[in-house]
Amino acid sequence: MVEHNAARLDDTFHALADPTRRAMLRSLSLHERSVGELAAPFQMSLAAASKHIKVLERAGLVRREVKGRTHVCRLDAAPLSDIQEWLRYYEQFWGERLDMLEALLRADTPTPPSAPTPRKKGRLR
Amino acid sequence: MSPPPIQVQLRRHFAAAAERVFDAWLDPAMLRQWMMGPSVRDEVVLRVAVDARVGGTFSFFVRRGDLELDHVGTYLELSRPRRLVFTWAVQVGAAPLAAEDLSQVTLDFEARDNGCVLTLTHTMDVKWAEYARRTEAGWTTMLGGLDRVLSSEVPHG
Repeated sequence: MVEHNAARLDDTFHALADPTRRAMLRSLSLHERSVGELAAPFQMSLAAASKHIKVLERAGLVRREVKGRTHVCRLDAAPLSDIQEWLRYYEQFWGERLDMLEALLRADTPTPPSAPTPRKKGRLR
Repeated sequence: MSPPPIQVQLRRHFAAAAERVFDAWLDPAMLRQWMMGPSVRDEVVLRVAVDARVGGTFSFFVRRGDLELDHVGTYLELSRPRRLVFTWAVQVGAAPLAAEDLSQVTLDFEARDNGCVLTLTHTMDVKWAEYARRTEAGWTTMLGGLDRVLSSEVPHG
């Protein structure tokens, strides 16, 4: 499950790794913008801006729609849920394994004759 | 202010000495009983290899149906019985390692109540943490959703 998302997760991280792209996302989180509007604050060419937007599109963070002669970009925050998914997966993954380890060590515990080990439910979560 | 790293953290009390819990992470026979294999999920363990020294690697290789998965990593710190640190990646078939390759697991053991408390911290992607540090404040508020994700903690307090 998580394994199959690895490539997509890579794209998401790559997209977010750049300050210009993060600024573009911030701007898009307010409302949709044309490519020109996205490029304007950065004093960069439309071609350079377009390159950044393509990276964001590849990660699925931005949807581009052609309206007449204008390309309108809109934010799609869904890929960020991959990160959430990673967290949930490993929370469960380690949780299950710690349960197993706990059970194994409990079953395996040598009980000293004079001082029996307290059988205490010891989960601290 | 740096945003919190993307991490999963679990704490667990064991009714066993820290040494025993620590060793369970490095003993192939033990690992086969709790980390991998049919006792944990529907899978066959093909290989468990552990080279328990700093810079040494491990491989927990399993088959799940048609899928072969190798859980691989390198030991970064072995301070028995206080701390164990290793990298963690899952390799599926011959696929190259990806973003998760850079995840790191830190185990901290603390003696307590006739046993020990283990704190497991799985931190994701060093690359990511680096960007996060560079960008300082501001970007966590970039998108409400991302902020929530980054500060996500194990829900059971």
